[in-house]
Amino acid sequence: MKAGDLVQVFTHNEVIQGRLMSSEAHRVVIKLSSGYNLSFDKNKVKSIKVVEVFKENKKEPHHVKEKKDLKTVMILHTGGTIASEVSYETGGTIPKYTPEELLHKFPELASVVNVKSRLVRNMWSEDMNFKHYNLIAKEIVKDIKNVDGIIVTHGTDTLGYTAAALSFILEGLEKPVLLVGSQRSSDRGSSDAGFNLLCATKFIAESDFGEVGICMHETMEDNTCLVMPACKTRKLHSSRRDAFKVVNGKAFARVTPETITFLRKDYGRVGKGVVKLKLFKPVKVGWLKAHPEMFSEEIKRYSSFDGLLLEGYGIAGNFPINKIDALTVENEKIYQALRVLAKKIPVVATTQTIFGRVNMNVYSTGRKMQDIGILGNYCDMLPETAFIKLAWLLSNFPKDVRNLMSENLRGEISKRVTSEFL
Amino acid sequence: MKIGLEIHRQIESHKLFCKCPSVLREDKPEFSIKRVLRAVSSELREEDLVAKHEMEKQRYAVYEGYDSTCLVELDESPPEHLNQEALMAVLEVAQLLHCEILDELFVMRKQVLDYSNTSGFQRTVLVARNGYVEVKGKKISINTLCLEEDAARKIMEHKDHVVYRLDRLGIPLIEITTKPEMTSALEAKEVAAYLGMVLKSTGKFKSGLGTIRQDVNVSVEGGSRVEIKGVQDLRSMDKIIEGEAQRQLQIVREKGKMKEEVRMVQEDLSTKFLRPMPGAARMYVETDVPVFKISKELLKNIKKPVLLSEKVQELEKKYQLHTEIAKELVEEHLALFEELVLKFHHPELIAKTLVLTLRDLKSRLHLSVEKLRKQDFEEVFSYVTKGNIDQDAVPHVLSDKLRGNFDLKKYEKVNEKDLEFFVRNLIKEKGSLNDGALMGIIMKEYQGKVNGKKVMEILKKVRG
Repeated sequence: MKAGDLVQVFTHNEVIQGRLMSSEAHRVVIKLSSGYNLSFDKNKVKSIKVVEVFKENKKEPHHVKEKKDLKTVMILHTGGTIASEVSYETGGTIPKYTPEELLHKFPELASVVNVKSRLVRNMWSEDMNFKHYNLIAKEIVKDIKNVDGIIVTHGTDTLGYTAAALSFILEGLEKPVLLVGSQRSSDRGSSDAGFNLLCATKFIAESDFGEVGICMHETMEDNTCLVMPACKTRKLHSSRRDAFKVVNGKAFARVTPETITFLRKDYGRVGKGVVKLKLFKPVKVGWLKAHPEMFSEEIKRYSSFDGLLLEGYGIAGNFPINKIDALTVENEKIYQALRVLAKKIPVVATTQTIFGRVNMNVYSTGRKMQDIGILGNYCDMLPETAFIKLAWLLSNFPKDVRNLMSENLRGEISKRVTSEFL
Repeated sequence: MKIGLEIHRQIESHKLFCKCPSVLREDKPEFSIKRVLRAVSSELREEDLVAKHEMEKQRYAVYEGYDSTCLVELDESPPEHLNQEALMAVLEVAQLLHCEILDELFVMRKQVLDYSNTSGFQRTVLVARNGYVEVKGKKISINTLCLEEDAARKIMEHKDHVVYRLDRLGIPLIEITTKPEMTSALEAKEVAAYLGMVLKSTGKFKSGLGTIRQDVNVSVEGGSRVEIKGVQDLRSMDKIIEGEAQRQLQIVREKGKMKEEVRMVQEDLSTKFLRPMPGAARMYVETDVPVFKISKELLKNIKKPVLLSEKVQELEKKYQLHTEIAKELVEEHLALFEELVLKFHHPELIAKTLVLTLRDLKSRLHLSVEKLRKQDFEEVFSYVTKGNIDQDAVPHVLSDKLRGNFDLKKYEKVNEKDLEFFVRNLIKEKGSLNDGALMGIIMKEYQGKVNGKKVMEILKKVRG
């Protein structure tokens, strides 16, 4: 007896027919012909009889002939809600679609580009680590010469981190690599997955953009998408379609299924450059957020790490390091712990405010943090991007971290912070 | 002919999966949002005919919203807790309809791609099943009781898109589905009325146009099941059923067989094709809301309200009221009546006042009786109990109150001796006039404060 079988459930007073959804230790769930699921306590079920074994109605793979006049996009699939379906076993949403099913689901893509598609991983984005960034980057490099662009479908939770990581790894990239996610899973009619994918393929097919970007809804409407910079974009809402916003900068372009409007000129163009993979190595980088009632132990525990990112308060990424009365004795210990750590490993300050530049000259706390070698002054990096960059620098330029951290390598630090805000 | 009913009624509470108020708005919407939907296959991956049919009709929708709607209606945030107040209302009805209450509730997504739901589906919960009602001695089986979200409100239909308003989306609804066991249009109407009375007995459902929708399943001998949507008014239900039965009989006569389908009631009470009949493929589990377990404690806490029909009988017996009066009291003024009787006694007077007097003031004098508040009735009946006014004066007092010229002095009872003294003097002066003329003078002098019968008695007594 398996999920999907047509069964009859016998109880003390009736016989109920339906499709088996799940049968666990204590409960059995069937789907009635009306479509409703009905759950029984197994103690009240006398027997279950299979009436008809379920045969999966396998869909024919969606074969589309390549059109010579269309450009070719490789869709690398990593999981997440952009291609997910309901599980029989748990009732939960799990990423499951094969690339063929992706095409079956979004047939309109085929009229914009020739679609190639490959499954890299089926995973929740929260489970990703640096090794997955390397894996995805290698998969991109496998195909990049033979296609006009790459789309990486990705769960939205850590999509911003992966975008930043790929932009660092893929040195010399001169082709579009767009990360695309969806905030409403594709098991519902209102999913934003199809629109985001369509806009991304359109943008790859019809623009000269040639770097890593993020393509997601601009507003709550199915009207426009934005192509946003990999290192300056953050998920700022837990559920809205337009959760991704550019921080301290502007989107590259606005895209609809019909039009492309560039909003900036300073983007990487398509070219013939060859990618040099600068992969992550096994490094340990910590991340510590300043909070009231801090203890020096919180800092000391990073002594075995290779680097530490600080997410402090306000303009300097301030930490509680000043002893001003009898109640702030611990702060002096925090300062000492930071001094010891910053001598040993790179420690980088960023700010919890998310928006704005770090300036460690304005108040004495910031100046004291500079004095003990904490990095990050004058940077307007997202904490997420700074974290990825620190780990990447430790992997590839371990002796040059202190210099390169505040140098703009991939658009992660703005020359000028302009007035864009929420 | 076989007839089954599907009755939907809004529950008096906030929305089913968020805390937004269940209010419809007629003022200018504060924002509008464009959306596109696409069909998805269900758990069992069977293509859904209905979804396809609906998709072909419109290209996109525009949703209008207010500050009284939130991200849940916009499908920008997942559903929150299942509204417990709404669930309790359905559980009370389950008890009244003798249903088996399920011990695990699944929120399901019913795919609806006509854009009436921003998510592309309507959330619906099967709560109870296998109940019955007894109407005029016949048992009619209740198939299921469901708790559902109401759909968005259609404002305008354009050539390629449709405009919906989010205010109605998510209002909790009960859905009662009977088995097709009614055999005449009249019987269906009686069962629908009975179910309406059951819902009203709980005091937990909205009333008025738009808060209730009845779908009717009709199939004639040799025909197929046809679902008719949009039967708003109970009064026209039998006509709609008769008309549909005639239509089906004609098709069966001419073609021998017919398709199952969903039809919509038109203004002239005929029906028009809406869409094919939906199948099981239309439903899949709402994964954003966990399975809800109905505990034994919760079951114990469900109230079983007294049916209004039983309440009518109770009032008839207890106060010797006429059936019609008792019925109207129960339907319109039950709480007020019980409170007034408790305070002032005089059940018969209070019943007559609330039913007959109000009806009279409204129809004959065109007064807006709905303006009368509880305090007004309390004041009037306290005058009666204290002996300030005569029972007969109650309608006059109420009409004066509505006109804003009430003055108690006008109604104060006249001392019988004073009246007799006045009559004696009058006869001394104008004894030559006949009784009728004298009556006129006396009644004018006392302006409704005296009872005519009493005046005549005194007049006769004085004249000897």
